[in-house]
Amino acid sequence: MELLEYQAKELFGMVDIPILPSQTIRDSRKIKQLQIPYPVVLKSQVRSGGRGKVGGIKFVANTIDAIAAARTIFNLSILGEYPEVILAEAHYNAEREFFLAIVLDYDLQCPVLLGSAYGGMNVDSLLTNLQQVVIDGSFSLFYARRLAVSMGLSGQLISSVSEIIAKMYQLFQEKDLELIEINPLGVNTKGELMALDGKITISDHALSRQPIIETLNLSKYQKQYNLERAGWHWLDWHNKSGKVATVCNSFDLALLTWDLLSQNKINPACGVVIDDNLTNQEDGSSLYSEKLKQILEDLAAIKGLKVILINIWSTETRSQEIIQTVDQYIQSLEESNLAAQAENIGHHSDSSKRDKSTKSKVKETLKPMPKFILRLLKVELTDLKTDDTIYLSSSLEESISKAIAMVKSS
Amino acid sequence: MNFDSGRQHYYSLDDLSTYTQTSEIYSPYCLPANYSNFMNWSSPNKVIIQGITESEAAFYAVQMKAYGTDVVAGVSSGQGGTTVGDIPVFDLVEQVLEVTDRIDTSLIFVSPYQVLDAAIEAIATGISRVIILTPNVPPLDTIRLIKYAQVNNTLLLGPGSEGIMIPEQVWLGKLQPQFYQPGKVGLITTSRDLSYEVAAELNQAKIGQSMVISLGNDRIIGSKLPQWLSILNEDPHTEAIVSIGKTIQETEEIVAYCKHLGSDKPIVCYTAGLKTPQERTFQDAVTIISNHLSASIPAVNQERSIISKLKKAGIKIAKRPSEIPPMLTEMFNSKVS
Repeated sequence: MELLEYQAKELFGMVDIPILPSQTIRDSRKIKQLQIPYPVVLKSQVRSGGRGKVGGIKFVANTIDAIAAARTIFNLSILGEYPEVILAEAHYNAEREFFLAIVLDYDLQCPVLLGSAYGGMNVDSLLTNLQQVVIDGSFSLFYARRLAVSMGLSGQLISSVSEIIAKMYQLFQEKDLELIEINPLGVNTKGELMALDGKITISDHALSRQPIIETLNLSKYQKQYNLERAGWHWLDWHNKSGKVATVCNSFDLALLTWDLLSQNKINPACGVVIDDNLTNQEDGSSLYSEKLKQILEDLAAIKGLKVILINIWSTETRSQEIIQTVDQYIQSLEESNLAAQAENIGHHSDSSKRDKSTKSKVKETLKPMPKFILRLLKVELTDLKTDDTIYLSSSLEESISKAIAMVKSS
Repeated sequence: MNFDSGRQHYYSLDDLSTYTQTSEIYSPYCLPANYSNFMNWSSPNKVIIQGITESEAAFYAVQMKAYGTDVVAGVSSGQGGTTVGDIPVFDLVEQVLEVTDRIDTSLIFVSPYQVLDAAIEAIATGISRVIILTPNVPPLDTIRLIKYAQVNNTLLLGPGSEGIMIPEQVWLGKLQPQFYQPGKVGLITTSRDLSYEVAAELNQAKIGQSMVISLGNDRIIGSKLPQWLSILNEDPHTEAIVSIGKTIQETEEIVAYCKHLGSDKPIVCYTAGLKTPQERTFQDAVTIISNHLSASIPAVNQERSIISKLKKAGIKIAKRPSEIPPMLTEMFNSKVS
């Protein structure tokens, strides 16, 4: 999980990495009670980078300016995200700006120190001058000095920058981080250092053992991220013009199914992955059906969807359960449509000269009936009769071909 | 416990050591120094299960035992003296050695935050093969564990591994044996379900599997693809290798392996998800930083570049599981003629 700048700075403060006096603001009117002397910098607290270029950072010299600027920032979306918080911070005169980071390297399987003497907004010169030191084993201060020297630093800066890196490393280890970055680290004329902006990513797999998560004021997005998943979830992939939805019991099967459809020039509309915990079966059975039914209802609400392809590799019992659930769902859909039609006819006999608006209303109550393809194992034992609405097979290739045929004929 | 038995010195063959780098023992392109730990899974193999009282572990423990796996004990702190099925449970790993002369393999099912401790306990007791079935272990824990395993010459599989399967002989972990059949193709995979799909195609074509290895789903894992490629390359029962993956990472590892060592046996590579609009994840520190600073790395479709890389390295690429059997048959036939 990525932390916002002000949250990252809270962590910096814990290990005495120097940060400017600052205050968070959630309401532009509250800016009157600002404790920091002007001039002040107001910074939009959003996840995405590049906020400076689009007006997410403003310098203000007095309260009147500040209120107006804060209003503007709260109403400015940066890559689709509005800030919940603005960070008001004292101004700092940096003579030079450095870049420092520690990143978990998945190739090397260890943390890597990164540094550039050209920090700040100019990414090109930052990256051309990027230096790295690999920490293969336990950390010692000399690794940080090695980085400082390779960055071209000299004199007092070698030890002062190394101290900052050591503190970053302490956070990295203690808080289970994947990434910690200070950019820029400001250096003033006296050679003093200040972390002016920062970024921290906590490893997703360690979140619940980090009590810091409880004390940080999480944003709406972060809270959502932190939520327990409720047994199933949507994939991040969508196609508005897609006509097929996939339901699989693992991400990997979803990859495979999506691939096979795409290879045949069929772009799926969306995909769902349903959790499949084989052993949690103490009364788990009915829960599974319930979940699947919920998924089917959600999918039915998607406009233009013609085919639902269920590809679930599981036990025979589970397969039977899926067949039953889908069968019941189709029946309930048919019944409600029949009822709606009956009502429709009833209306007609009432008065044969019904106007068009009522007709279209009736049409709306008729739910579209998608076609179902079930790819399940050992399905030969079932007594389900397959027809135009439902197709059953244990062969993946057959199921895919059938889905393609159904989409093309619709 | 003696780790020096077996064919320890295999890796120092001249042609292999040319490619060993700083860490000679764990150079990814040669046979690992603890080679013997990787082999001989079908010889007598005494197994313990750490975290056996967790419901998933108990479920698999009982089935594995019934299948013939020599599960000598379970370990679960505070549950010592109880049983799971007819498997005795102990509080500590070392207590198991009071009822058996040795332990060859530990299967670890404990919760993610307890994995590091449980694995160190197993290694400290002298167990030379540790398979971690638990997924989503905090990466910094795994890094520490890998170091500890290296120092002690322990084979580490996982975290997030589904285990190892030799059809009709060895069942260690969560791969369901009914989906595999004995045969001559070795599968290395990061995905249980994709290995089922590929195995189903191989079974239908009567080719079967010699061994199935699930590396693990976590981003940082112990033993990796190149090490297992070299093991299967040596394995007398394996005639061809299929690597089943879902990230570009795996294909890059295969290309690097073939460039450095070449393989005596045909390798087929199947990567799922090349057509899906997923975000690419980056592996190395500099790319991770560059990407988030500038976000300028274009999100191009990886398919074409992957395929051309593999072709250059002489590796066959299957676009879908059903393509694999005819591909292998053709390779086997051309070898004979």
